[in-house]
Amino acid sequence: MPDDLADVYRTTYHALVRFLYRKVWSAERAEDLAQEAFARALVHKPENTRGWLFVVAANMARDEARRAARERRHLTLLKSEPPTSAPPSDEVLHTEGERSQVRAALEQLTPRDREVLLLWDSGLSYDEIAAQTGLARGAIGTTLARARRRLVEAFDARKTGEHVARG
Amino acid sequence: MSHVDDGNLHAYLDGELPATEAHDLEAHVAQCRECRVRLDEERALIARADELLGLAAPPDRAMPPFRPGDREPPVRLWWRVRLPLAWAATVVLALGAGLYLGSGARARRQEPVAQNSGDVATTRALPAPAAPEPAAAPPVAPRQMQRVRSAPAAPTTVGGERKAAVQEKATEQVVTDGASGAVALRHDSAVAQRERAELAPSAFKATAAPVVARTVGPYSVAGPPITLDSARALVGTTPYAVPDLPVRGIYRGRMFGSLALVVVRQALDSSTVIDVITGRYRPLSLDAVVVAGAARPETTDFSERARLGRARDSIAPAPGAQRTAAPAPAPGPARGAFADRPAAALVVEVRGPVPTDSLAALQRRLAPLRP
Repeated sequence: MPDDLADVYRTTYHALVRFLYRKVWSAERAEDLAQEAFARALVHKPENTRGWLFVVAANMARDEARRAARERRHLTLLKSEPPTSAPPSDEVLHTEGERSQVRAALEQLTPRDREVLLLWDSGLSYDEIAAQTGLARGAIGTTLARARRRLVEAFDARKTGEHVARG
Repeated sequence: MSHVDDGNLHAYLDGELPATEAHDLEAHVAQCRECRVRLDEERALIARADELLGLAAPPDRAMPPFRPGDREPPVRLWWRVRLPLAWAATVVLALGAGLYLGSGARARRQEPVAQNSGDVATTRALPAPAAPEPAAAPPVAPRQMQRVRSAPAAPTTVGGERKAAVQEKATEQVVTDGASGAVALRHDSAVAQRERAELAPSAFKATAAPVVARTVGPYSVAGPPITLDSARALVGTTPYAVPDLPVRGIYRGRMFGSLALVVVRQALDSSTVIDVITGRYRPLSLDAVVVAGAARPETTDFSERARLGRARDSIAPAPGAQRTAAPAPAPGPARGAFADRPAAALVVEVRGPVPTDSLAALQRRLAPLRP
């Protein structure tokens, strides 16, 4: 079993980090959570390790987001100024800009569309996505088509809005 | 044939359409100009979506080696293994000592009763306050009995006293308070006074306190909040905390088997409070405890030493106490035995009413508390 898991680790680690990164938006946290998911797989010895890893990772990312929100709320209460007070510099905006635009666009998708899109982008097959999300296999293509279209539209809309605001 | 829907187009382009359906789709697209255009559009859409997702990808970093097992912090291991062991040893010792005390009292009761039944009566009438700690009363009672009975012969008295002291060491601090109370009854004996002073070093007092906390839970918080400086002095280092979380207070903590414990209480949010425990633990020094009691052969007459030997023999069969028989009555004082111990291990742990994941995450964030 540990040998099998080592194989899964080699083939799935990067995909899992990629998947988690779009949820926690921190490379370090994504890597930590991926390691944690594999550590749990070592204990639980699931049958479908790869799918199980993504389920666990999704749950951990959700818990993480909840706690982060709770801590943010608390820190906001503590600080006299709101956390958004200091505008980032132009350099930061330039390098971070597109990433945060994509992030914002992703957040405009419905949770189900986003999940399917992220799972596909992380390298899961339609069958695996169907097993994980509970969708029918035949519905995955339709969901992906909608998710991709909305992502591009949301991104382009933000770009246009930004240009209008600047011009 | 009807036109191809978006879902099938995407599945086809993703290479996920079953072979027969893919074949049908290709056949249709070959003769349907409209669907050919749509196929190209969807292909461009997929490429664009992939490009956008690529912008929001994590930095391409090397895969760390596969060692999930290493991530378990050693702290937890200590906690899981040592505490149950210490518990087991305590129970075994207490049982062994209790058995010995019981058998000794029974054996003795038979000889003097015939000649001096009045003494036994006096013993029974001894006031309870002689034992300040009610919990320690059962083991103390037989000891009082033998002391009063042997009163006429002075050397034996001292011997009985010392033997009692050895037994109380064997029961591992549980009866320490009761014993000092019993010793206090004999103000007339200078030897007993000296014994009391030597047999109750502060180290034993310090470890005796957490015994109470065991019934409360794994640890408890004692007394009012203390200052950061006091906390530092207590554990010999700056206590740990989760950065950026408000500190509700710093407290002195108590935990079984620990000498020094600081609890930093922090608010996770308005309704959730976590405790960050910084402590220096020391495994119970069982051999040191017994050596302390048997450590003064120079003031012990021969018969007394023989009896001490019996005392150890009767305890020895208990597995936890096996080691106690090994050290011969070495002439080293108790404090010396304690001082030779390795430095106490520093332990930091987060506790709180949150999921294990969250605790683990908080544990990773721990850092020394900044004033």
